[in-house]
Amino acid sequence: MIDRVITMGLKAADSQMGNERHLILQYLAKILNFNKVFKNLNCLRIMYSSLTILLLSIIYFTPQEDIYTQRRQNMVKEQIASRGIMDAAVLKAMRSVKRHLFVPGERVANAYDDRPLPIGFGQTISQPYIVAYMTAVINPKPDFKVLEIGTGSGYQAAVLAEIVREVYTIEIVPQLAGSAAENYKKAGLTKIRSRAGDGYFGWKEYGPYDAIMVTAAAEYVPPPLIEQLKEGGKMVIPVGSPFLTQTLMLVEKKKGRPVTKSLLPVAFVPFTRSK
Amino acid sequence: MRTKSYNILFSIGFLSAAIIAFQLVLMQILSIVQWYHFAYMVISVALLGFGAAGSVLAIFQKWMVKHVDALVPGLMIFSGIAMSLVTGITQLPAIRFDSYLLFSDYDQIGRLLITYLLFFIPFFTAALAIGLVFIHNPARIGTVYFANLLGSGAGGLLALMLIQLFFPSKLPAILSLLPVLSAILLLPGRNRFFYMGAAMIAVAVITWRMVQPSPLVLSQYKDLSKTLLLPEAQIKWERTSPFGLIQIVTSPVLRYAPGLSLTAQKTAHVKMAAFINGDWFGAITGLDEPGTSHVLDHTTLALPFIMSERKRVLVLRSGTGIEVGYAVNRGASRVVAVEPNEVIMSAMKNELAAETDSLYHHAGVSVYHREPRSFLMTDTSKYDLIMLPMIGAFGGGAGLSALQEQFMLTREAVAEMWSKLESGGVITVTSWMDHPFRNPLKILATFVEVLEDAGIKNPRNQIAAIRSWGTITYVLTKSPLPREQIQKIRLFCDGMLFDPAFLPGLNAEERNRYNQFDHKQFFSYTDRIFSPSRESLYGDYAFNIRPSTDNKPYFSQYIKWRELSQLAGLVGNRSLPFYELGYLVVIMTFIQLSLASLVLIVLPLLSIGWKGRNNTSILLYFTGTAIGYMFIELVFIQRLILYFGNPVYSASAVITCLLIFSGLGSRSSSYFLQDKKRLWVVTGSIVLILCGYSFVFTPVLQQTIHYGLPGKMLIVLLLITPLAFLMGIPFPAGLSYFSAKNDRDTPWAWGLNGCASVISTALATMVAVEMGFAWVMLMAALAYCLPLFVQLRWS
Repeated sequence: MIDRVITMGLKAADSQMGNERHLILQYLAKILNFNKVFKNLNCLRIMYSSLTILLLSIIYFTPQEDIYTQRRQNMVKEQIASRGIMDAAVLKAMRSVKRHLFVPGERVANAYDDRPLPIGFGQTISQPYIVAYMTAVINPKPDFKVLEIGTGSGYQAAVLAEIVREVYTIEIVPQLAGSAAENYKKAGLTKIRSRAGDGYFGWKEYGPYDAIMVTAAAEYVPPPLIEQLKEGGKMVIPVGSPFLTQTLMLVEKKKGRPVTKSLLPVAFVPFTRSK
Repeated sequence: MRTKSYNILFSIGFLSAAIIAFQLVLMQILSIVQWYHFAYMVISVALLGFGAAGSVLAIFQKWMVKHVDALVPGLMIFSGIAMSLVTGITQLPAIRFDSYLLFSDYDQIGRLLITYLLFFIPFFTAALAIGLVFIHNPARIGTVYFANLLGSGAGGLLALMLIQLFFPSKLPAILSLLPVLSAILLLPGRNRFFYMGAAMIAVAVITWRMVQPSPLVLSQYKDLSKTLLLPEAQIKWERTSPFGLIQIVTSPVLRYAPGLSLTAQKTAHVKMAAFINGDWFGAITGLDEPGTSHVLDHTTLALPFIMSERKRVLVLRSGTGIEVGYAVNRGASRVVAVEPNEVIMSAMKNELAAETDSLYHHAGVSVYHREPRSFLMTDTSKYDLIMLPMIGAFGGGAGLSALQEQFMLTREAVAEMWSKLESGGVITVTSWMDHPFRNPLKILATFVEVLEDAGIKNPRNQIAAIRSWGTITYVLTKSPLPREQIQKIRLFCDGMLFDPAFLPGLNAEERNRYNQFDHKQFFSYTDRIFSPSRESLYGDYAFNIRPSTDNKPYFSQYIKWRELSQLAGLVGNRSLPFYELGYLVVIMTFIQLSLASLVLIVLPLLSIGWKGRNNTSILLYFTGTAIGYMFIELVFIQRLILYFGNPVYSASAVITCLLIFSGLGSRSSSYFLQDKKRLWVVTGSIVLILCGYSFVFTPVLQQTIHYGLPGKMLIVLLLITPLAFLMGIPFPAGLSYFSAKNDRDTPWAWGLNGCASVISTALATMVAVEMGFAWVMLMAALAYCLPLFVQLRWS
């Protein structure tokens, strides 16, 4: 009887809670094991079964968003702030943007993991820390206008949109551009203007920009992008293989001349052994 | 099995040819859809299939021998059907694995295991059929083994031929006809029509796969996959070849300008891009008129040309010819392009001539289809400039080329190039900046050591380098840099916003002005490379930056084992593999196969028990012969790459020679077994020859490298065939000796041999990377001491 109740509860949870079901399943599997252990002790069995129902009810009636909110809080605390990013606006944006809306369905359970995730088409959604680091590097202000080349899942633009006035983003793969636009709708983001196309020429119509993020790094920095960067503006480009950002390149336009700086998001210097 | 004797021999020959050819074709397919590192997986899965078949035979020997007439053709037909189907099944969305995702998505491990299992099936069933024939024909074991080796040797050549004629997706089905043909040759008298029907069904399935082969789905992280996502991207031309599948892609948004200056206004548009096995090979562009602005003028690659005029230019591994075109544009009167891939060169000269503005028909350009080192050893000309291809990948790459032998970047190679420079001439190489620094430091270390070896007291006066935001270009000069050239370099850097990294008389501020490092570690490392404390830096640095040598030509191998845990702590376990995926794949293969061979070979054998008196002898004898044989095969292939100037020909020549002449050796093994002293002489000779080869093999090749192909073939035949003949003897002789003593030992002998062979494929590579080729050969000699030791104890 108890098992049947749990099965029904599972079905309900499954339909209501979507991708959280694996957590409930794991938990219930443990409870069921306890029930089997105490199968000859009716009193204990009843107690555990009641506890099961109680917990199931709590999980069932706990809004899904609360779970994700908690995970985002943990992500910011354990992955970002603990690594030295203290920009209040960036931390707030990272806490607000629902990262799980920007990862493919089958990877929602890993949305807040401390790593990049594949999003298809040979692209990844960057590790949360790298997104925060890149955002902090451009020192975004509320009146900023930012251009992003390489929309990907749309997560970086969403984080920027929490802080700055206008965000423009271009993605060369039409399928990715389409899914990012869907993601913005789901997340209720309206400040972002996106399009599918070749980012080489930037988006001159809305330039110049206070900052440019080239999230899909290429072997060259397109000259039109330098032109569309405001005096004193910053451009940031992550460099590395899809699953390992090794360094960030920061381009600053000073007196009309760009100067680059290689930044290390992962604190791995010095590289010689201490004797 | 009352089949005519030659039918058995032909059947075994065809089946053996099919297995080897299928193995090579699978290697090619995996190189296309994933990366060539999975070649180790294929070789090992094939050997594992053989080992496991030996165990199954040992356990079910009686039953199987009783049904041998039905089983052998049945297994052959099954193997044929499996060969035609497994590649397609591994490409299904539910099964297909992606090596890039292995470390981020553990679901991929299950997919990889299913892929292993699927590839295992045809090898296992074919090996079972061959093993049954062996067991059923004990009197003719030498002849059957000969047919087996001869067929295997022919299989190598067959694969090479078919790869040139058909696209890789069609090849498994074509090859799978051979096992069915083998089965038809051995159809039993009873139930003949049943088997004939089964063979016909197999042929029908195979024909269907030939007509409608499964498309090969490339990893989404391969260069070609990403390029095909660009607007209007399409494959304009493709050809299959022993060098791999060559594909030329067009798109209006294709661009190439590595590390382009931030001041550049020139568009970096290129007409096409070439890919080999889905990996980037080079951009294809037209020939700019001499004297007009070229896109590379705005990159660090321009360094040697802004220093001085370069009339005679040698471009090594010229690829699609971007640097060749650039040298012509900069006024070179003679440009020698050396590129071993003759298929793509032929396409550039013919089908794609219009796209390159007939660059390779230009009066001043001459082309050589050779491995660069091989060319350098025979060429007597002097040059103003020797250009090496770009090193590394944008962003540091994923260390995929860690296990690629790069004979062009060894200390000996650079010394050879330096000797070919005119006074005032330079060698130039460009590398992507990586982090942590690896390639730029190893290049500098190589240049400094070459100059010191040449007796130059102050290498700083003969090395210059400039840095953009992403690249660093070096020049190594024949004579000290004149003051006016130093001035030209400074002016060029100022105009392009590049920083001089090394120049005689450079001050510390100048080198970190436009492209700043967050920290100054890079320069403290480079300063140490120029100083007497260079050796201590090699030891202290977390990566291996010691220059590579001809003995250890793995320029891109950087991981140090003792630093792995520190590195993993810094970047995380999931990210770590992306520093050097190539080497880690081999280590993983080694571990997986050690475990798998234990489970599939040793444990089943333990279930039948092993109570013979010869346990230790059998263990030493058969592991020794397996390790020795596999190690020698690897060394020969690696060594002959330089000699023939082509890895494909090298591998084919070695595999074919070794297998055919070992086959002849095995055929005569009964003669040697008649007198134990003869066997001692055979195995002792192998040990002695190998010891001798570790000293003379390389010098002989170096002395004869200028010979034409027939002369080289003769030298290789003289070097390999006696050894291959002798190496074919110990295994069947040992098998006959031990099975005569106690036939329950035979499966153990097979099993241990299979197990050691499986492990040796990956182990040989690991020894070569860590200790060098000379040690691999010496270890092969040591391995053959084990059977010698056992033979000496035979009464």
